[in-house]
Amino acid sequence: MKFNKFLLFMIMAAFAVVLAACGTDADEKDGDKTNTSSSGETTAPAEDAEVKDLEGSVVIDGSGTVYPLMARLAEEYMISEQENVSVEVSRAGTSAGFKKFLVENGTDFNDASRNIKDEEAAAAKDLGIEVKELKVALDGLTFVINKDNDWATEMTPEELISIFLADSTVEKWSDINPEWPDEKINAMGPNENHGTYEFFYEKILDKQDMDSTVNLQQEYSTLVNLVSEDKNGIAFFGFGYYVNNQDKLQAVSVDFGNGPVAPALDTISEDGAYADFTRPVFTYLNVNHAKEKPQVKDFAIYVMNNINKFAGETGFAPIPESEVQENVSFLEGL
Amino acid sequence: MKHLDENQHMRRTKFRLVLNNISKIIFMLAAFFGLFFLAVLLGKVFTDGIGSINMNFLTGKLSTQPERAGIMGAILGTFWLMLVVAPVTMFLGVGTAIYLEMYAKKGRVLDFIQTNISNLAGVPSIVYGILGMTVFVRAMNLGNVVLAGGLAMSLLILPIVIVASQEAIRSIPFFLSEAAYGLGATKWQTIQRVILPAALPGILTGAILALSRAIGETAPLVVIGIPALLIPFPGGIMDRFTVLPMQIYYWTLDASLVAEYANLAAATIIVLLVALFILNSTAIIIRNKFQRVF
Repeated sequence: MKFNKFLLFMIMAAFAVVLAACGTDADEKDGDKTNTSSSGETTAPAEDAEVKDLEGSVVIDGSGTVYPLMARLAEEYMISEQENVSVEVSRAGTSAGFKKFLVENGTDFNDASRNIKDEEAAAAKDLGIEVKELKVALDGLTFVINKDNDWATEMTPEELISIFLADSTVEKWSDINPEWPDEKINAMGPNENHGTYEFFYEKILDKQDMDSTVNLQQEYSTLVNLVSEDKNGIAFFGFGYYVNNQDKLQAVSVDFGNGPVAPALDTISEDGAYADFTRPVFTYLNVNHAKEKPQVKDFAIYVMNNINKFAGETGFAPIPESEVQENVSFLEGL
Repeated sequence: MKHLDENQHMRRTKFRLVLNNISKIIFMLAAFFGLFFLAVLLGKVFTDGIGSINMNFLTGKLSTQPERAGIMGAILGTFWLMLVVAPVTMFLGVGTAIYLEMYAKKGRVLDFIQTNISNLAGVPSIVYGILGMTVFVRAMNLGNVVLAGGLAMSLLILPIVIVASQEAIRSIPFFLSEAAYGLGATKWQTIQRVILPAALPGILTGAILALSRAIGETAPLVVIGIPALLIPFPGGIMDRFTVLPMQIYYWTLDASLVAEYANLAAATIIVLLVALFILNSTAIIIRNKFQRVF
């Protein structure tokens, strides 16, 4: 009886070992595949590989604002173009993403809701990483308020800025307009990991200090929930997160001087009525990886060719066709 | 009789009885507090999630489109992760327990190891994530693959397995091993033929419960870096992966982008709960059926 149990134990142990061994085997093969695809085009002529079946992985991290668009593109690419390529999309935030992008064997793309910074560009140079900026869409920085807020639906840029500035006397709604409630404003936004924060700080606040009482969050979903539950809440983020939560939030129409403009796909553009709060969003490509791995280059070209098709449904305005073509011809020349 | 004031006595007794009843109610409420919220949680999860569970959801690939999203990738990821965690923790955990219980001499060294194993059991799981990130992902350059995640997860549950195995070994009465020694068996023979077979049900129970903890754990994997969108199925332990609780995490967050994701998260919770329920019942069955009292 005891011996039987020991036998059972041994069988289970053996089973586990065998299974684990199988796993390693399967993996080594997989590892080899990625190795060959990354170590050069010796296995398959590069030109051919572009139209034929590709494999290996494409790793994308970065902006949470750009994530829905890139995730959509990645999925379509795997369904309709290259089903054996694994495109993996994460969203740590623009700045956090650049930290993963600017290392040896880093990510292939970094989505960004702001331009690359000088020090990041310098770090890339030190590492010998050639970086290509690809503008993918236009996003409107959207200020959202609670559905029950019936006073602050239209504001000027100056009023909005005064809410977030450290150097301002605005703390209550009544400080902006005496007719508004005498209640404290609860300002919120994404934290420093996000390009949206940096865009707001650099371009909108013009690098003036942000009020330390502003509630900065890592996740956009947290901001959506906070504002939807707080009558005095106001937050800023990309238009896409507003579009998908119109039932819970309302957007502030901004009066840039010619009457209030609501953020919308047709007002967000480089010369549209919402242009002052419009920003381009990017994905940064590691050009070295694009040259080494055919699947990275192929995906980059796919992104540029299809970007405007998926921009609208994920809450972005399209970029001019001429800029798309410029980038496509650059990528094809790699 | 003079010493006993009847009235005062009755009053006191009454007071004590009332106090007795009040404390009973308080403790009963305490017991039902947890149950109540468990019921609320289960009710909410089932009403939200049950509608999303169908064949496509269980066997399909992950997708950004809720209507065609499936969790087979996460199920397979969890499976591969367990395939790393189970053998590693069984071997290291039982090995450590045998050494500590059967070989190590009582003294400072043993106390030191014992104390530290107890300490390790109390280390927050996110710390194991940071350790896994530093050692397995970066230093050993494995990348964020199943093997790296599995090793980090193994470290997390190792103390639980060690302690459970020690208890199981310790509960075996001396007369069994002494009988073996009396027959001339060596220490290894005794361990192999007497101790381990007798302790196996206890060890397995502990190991399965520890595994079910690993299945539900996210914190170490958040640090190691699991892609939010990973469509292809993992084919082995050197592939990047996602697991059920990570999928719940991402879908819950992304519910602000696509409202239906909340239902998918709830459906995934149901799948995870069912998996945990099966594992825990197995542990209970093993304990009740095979554990013998000497």
